[in-house]
Amino acid sequence: MEAIKIINSIKDDFKSTIQSMNYFYELFEKVYCKNEPLHNGKTKIGTMCIQIPSEIIYALDGVPIRLCNGFYTDDEIGSDLLTQKACPLVKATVGHFASNNFTDKPDIVFSPTTCDQKTKAGAIVKNFGYKVVDVDFPRTKESEGSREYWRKSIKQFAVELSKFKNKKLTKSNLEVSIKKIGYAQSLYHKLSEYRKQEIAPILGVDMFLITNAFFFDKIDSWIEAMEVLLKEMKTRVDEKINVAGKMSPRIVFTGSPPIFPNYKIPLIIEQSDALIVADETCSSNRMFNDMVAVDEWNLYDMIDSISDKYLKACTCPIFTTNDDRIRRIIDLVKNYKADAVVYQAFAGCTVYEMEQRSVLDAMEKAGIPILYIESDYSPSQQGQLSTRIEAFVESLKTRRRNKNR
Amino acid sequence: MSNLKRKINNMNLVRFRFWFQIVAFLLIVYGGYIGFDLGNKLPTFACVYNGDFTGGKCYLGMLQHDLKHPWETFLGFAGYAFLISLGIFIGWLWLLNKAWCGYVCPLGTMQDWITAFRTKLKIRFSQYDWSSRAKIKPIKWILLILLLIIPVMIANSVFGLPKLPNGLSMPFCDICPGRMLIPAFTGDFGQFYIDFSSKTDLVMTTLGMIIVGLFLIGSFIKKRFFCYFCPMAALQYTFSKPALLKLYKDGSKCTKCGDCYRACDMDILEIADDVTSKNLVTEDCTLCLKCVAACPEEGCLEANFAGKTIFESTKEGFIIRMAMDKKGESS
Ligand code: SF4
Ligand code: SF4
Ligand code: SF4
Ligand code: SF4
Ligand code: SF4
Repeated sequence: MEAIKIINSIKDDFKSTIQSMNYFYELFEKVYCKNEPLHNGKTKIGTMCIQIPSEIIYALDGVPIRLCNGFYTDDEIGSDLLTQKACPLVKATVGHFASNNFTDKPDIVFSPTTCDQKTKAGAIVKNFGYKVVDVDFPRTKESEGSREYWRKSIKQFAVELSKFKNKKLTKSNLEVSIKKIGYAQSLYHKLSEYRKQEIAPILGVDMFLITNAFFFDKIDSWIEAMEVLLKEMKTRVDEKINVAGKMSPRIVFTGSPPIFPNYKIPLIIEQSDALIVADETCSSNRMFNDMVAVDEWNLYDMIDSISDKYLKACTCPIFTTNDDRIRRIIDLVKNYKADAVVYQAFAGCTVYEMEQRSVLDAMEKAGIPILYIESDYSPSQQGQLSTRIEAFVESLKTRRRNKNR
Repeated sequence: MSNLKRKINNMNLVRFRFWFQIVAFLLIVYGGYIGFDLGNKLPTFACVYNGDFTGGKCYLGMLQHDLKHPWETFLGFAGYAFLISLGIFIGWLWLLNKAWCGYVCPLGTMQDWITAFRTKLKIRFSQYDWSSRAKIKPIKWILLILLLIIPVMIANSVFGLPKLPNGLSMPFCDICPGRMLIPAFTGDFGQFYIDFSSKTDLVMTTLGMIIVGLFLIGSFIKKRFFCYFCPMAALQYTFSKPALLKLYKDGSKCTKCGDCYRACDMDILEIADDVTSKNLVTEDCTLCLKCVAACPEEGCLEANFAGKTIFESTKEGFIIRMAMDKKGESS
């Protein structure tokens, strides 16, 4: 119900639909409404966060399935198992396991110890009878110790998975998978280039669908769909097709991640005649921005490069300081010529809530308007949220008009 | 962006550097053979012991020689000569800055060859931990000061101390691996010897042999092992600020991903972690530009010559260099 409602409103509420987006609409419908599995016969490796390297999973012939969940129905189940006050993302993820209604059920789950709630969730899921392996994740990223620690964790992860799959990690299979994921990421970057343009060719909610599809889709099909989409983008740009209005304020979205079908806030933003041109969230941009950079293409350096990619460039709020995230947001605003930032924090996600002040201060200093919204997965409060967002968008339009004068 | 600029930013830096270093090596080590000569004040190890073959000469050798004069002479003609020499050295340095190390120095190139050999054998490199890394930093400065003071102390009695023995007249050359290794490339192995004529000579030449051994083994284990201790690097850095070639960083674009740091043979942490400085030519930097090639952020790092960007990091360049621009095999 939730799923189809969202898909339909993305499809129908906006002008000039992109033909090649149909692949993604159908994909989500297939997986989340019709429950048709995609990976029969493959080993499915569940991951509880962004930090588990898909490169190693593909190299060992597994399929990574990211289990971060956006369903309110699962959130409600999770509420009974955890505490009402917990983060809806974690509740929904645990709820998903409790209800066991997977389209592609994971054969093993790797759970990095990122935020407190995720860390505990791993253990709770284990009690349901799933095979869960914790992957130690450090809470600082500047120190030498944390880098070494995480490199060790990744090696350990590779060993565990290699044992589970009974397959050896080699220079050639890892190199192939690094380059394949790198290629997929390069397509994302190409698409993002279009979003920098004055005439916006694609909606933010469409982008979230595309990036969220990477959680579970067959990578080859995803790549193909992206190639088709990029071709269409080019003709749309040549024909100057704009998905938003001329005066629509451009938004950078940050904070707790929009995960299908919880696109509540992004949808309201775009229904209020603003446009999300970029994001800084772990369900989207953060998955694609950094590619693995290898200096010596041998196993030892590839594994270290992979580890560093998942730690050093990560802007997750669970780390001690987070100037990197602030710098990144400002850079996105500049590059994508955005007018403002919208910061979503899930009620119960203490780390995003706590980081709010420092981000707000930094934006004020940089002269960038920002709207902070606390939200959850429930369908209520819709009206109140719309009013706030609409008022914000209006103020941005006024600001723009004044600037143009 | 013009097409040429794009081509440069997309280039395969590793290959470019490999061939550049070979050409530079040939010119420096064999250039004399075809009458190529860049003079004797080069900011790089073009060894004087390489006789007629050398395509230029190392200023460090020259400098030690120049300093071995009594005080009085510095006030006269020798003083002028010294300043002019230093001026010419600085001139060369300003042209390429520390890229003499990353692109020209035969000892640097040799170490890179040894690294390439190790990579072929699929043997992992080692790294210093951060605290050791910090501890070895002053060594090159100490060596530089010693090689400046000792010749002076041979010709003069400093603070009433007795003059040093003449056997120390080229103290750094005695222990410099260039003295033995570079002539070896022109078939002259004559520098591999231990001199028993005096105690000082014995000690210094033995030390020299040991250091050559360390050079060969060290650079197999650790990339650019010798450069961490090189007094030439220290001398270069002293005059590097006004040089024309620069490595610039725009910290606002940096994600601190550390890709540059991992590519850096000199393990320079600042290249990734410093997001406020503009000039990132640090004391150990060899201006090899590997960091620029490894950075995925548009315009975050750049090589700049006299105010003009000549090579900068771009997403496209990164993707091409990592061979991520094509679909590749599907599994
Ligand atoms: S949104 Fe916050 S609490 Fe929830 S999983 Fe992410 S970091 Fe943890
Ligand atoms: S021995 Fe070393 S310092 Fe002396 S001239 Fe040769 S290269 Fe230069
Ligand atoms: S640091 Fe010394 S040995 Fe290394 S490249 Fe530079 S001059 Fe040559
Ligand atoms: S590679 Fe570029 S973005 Fe990454 S840390 Fe280095 S300078 Fe910053
Ligand atoms: S900082 Fe960059 S240019 Fe300097 S040595 Fe390291 S990789 Fe080379």
